[in-house]
Amino acid sequence: MNLNNAPQRIRWGVIALLIGIAIFLSILDNSGNLDNALAFLRNPLIAILDWTSARTDTLADALSGPRDLQEAKTEIERLQERLDALERENEELRESQGEAQLLFDLFNRARQAPELTRVTANVIGQDTNPAIRSIIIDKGSEDGILVGMPVESARGLVGRVFRTAAKSSQVVLITDSASAIPTRLGTSRATGILRGGGLGGSMAIDWLDLKYQVEIGEVVSTSGLGGKFPQGIVIGRVIEVERREAELFQRAIVQPAVDTESLEIVFVITDFQPIETDIFSDTTETP
Amino acid sequence: MRTSFYLAVPIMMLLSITQSAIIARYPLLGFVPQLSFLVALSWGLLHDVEEGVTWAFVGGFFIDLFSVTPTGVTPFVWMIAILVVIQLSQIFPTSRYIMPTISGALGTLLYIAMQVLLLRLFGYQSSLETVIALLPLSILHGILILPVYWLMYTLLQRIRPRRVSF
Repeated sequence: MNLNNAPQRIRWGVIALLIGIAIFLSILDNSGNLDNALAFLRNPLIAILDWTSARTDTLADALSGPRDLQEAKTEIERLQERLDALERENEELRESQGEAQLLFDLFNRARQAPELTRVTANVIGQDTNPAIRSIIIDKGSEDGILVGMPVESARGLVGRVFRTAAKSSQVVLITDSASAIPTRLGTSRATGILRGGGLGGSMAIDWLDLKYQVEIGEVVSTSGLGGKFPQGIVIGRVIEVERREAELFQRAIVQPAVDTESLEIVFVITDFQPIETDIFSDTTETP
Repeated sequence: MRTSFYLAVPIMMLLSITQSAIIARYPLLGFVPQLSFLVALSWGLLHDVEEGVTWAFVGGFFIDLFSVTPTGVTPFVWMIAILVVIQLSQIFPTSRYIMPTISGALGTLLYIAMQVLLLRLFGYQSSLETVIALLPLSILHGILILPVYWLMYTLLQRIRPRRVSF
């Protein structure tokens, strides 16, 4: 690196400038000062992402469809044209059946807890950072989505809205390592904080009192403590209990009820008001 | 650099959309390759460190738009990783297969470690386990960089053909 040379100086100056901009941006964004500016950039990109996601679905369906057709070709040559039509119809019906089943599940979920108002959203993308577990949905602030709203699917809790744009939102999944949810176990009634395992890790409830006899297979649901999630949303099941008598606490490994990799449609619970617990700390600080 | 910047913007924008909408659905061996990073690194290796850093800035910026990480973290870690790797590449074997492979793997390792550290600094729950769990991604990147490097080489030849003097 010879800084006496003018082009070299300019080159390293550009590099230093870009690094400086990146640091400045991350500090500004982390403090929430860039939300509006970034939303301006993010909105058109999310529209393209939505379009791409829909086309990918169509293409994936088209590629997975013709297998039956190939088998039919070899079996009944003369019925080829009719078979094509029937096959297409069959695929459409199968897709409709899948959608109907999904909507039926969602309807059932809505019926189980009718007191909560929900907005249905399509999953249009996943987090581009391999260390983070989050999804992008096609509903945003224009649809009444606010930061902190709980998100669930027909099978159970999915996560929490982290950031909103006009027409989209980012949802941090329960499996992300930053996730911490107050939970209650179904049979033993033990309560604890469920932490996401992040990449390659398992979700686990640490610090469970040894007085509770936690069993494998127990249903884990939200306890409602802390006021961030409504009570009683299913999260998963206990698949392993680490109980060491020498220690004062036990640990339960939890398998999520929701397959976060294959989510298509989710519910955002819009009328649940998360309780802001910060007010308590403010009160103590007030002279 | 200016021409390259204008080329980087549409390419990196398309790659980040592809990354979120398509590639993320079809992980390779359980990992989602970071194509934008491989493209930026390949471009830098084929051209120079300034170009690589510029492409990393643009690519990382678009990647952060589709992520919950604070915008700026990914460009920062990518730029540093590419800067270090390109400087070190002078001591790597000059083979067109070995040099990109080592660079891809080492660069990935560097950026993942720095990203986890930075995310912790910003209050995210990233841990050493995340770095360990992502280690195979560096091997995957070491392999996947070869076709990307070749493609970038072809692109570079097209847009900046070598001058021939008679």
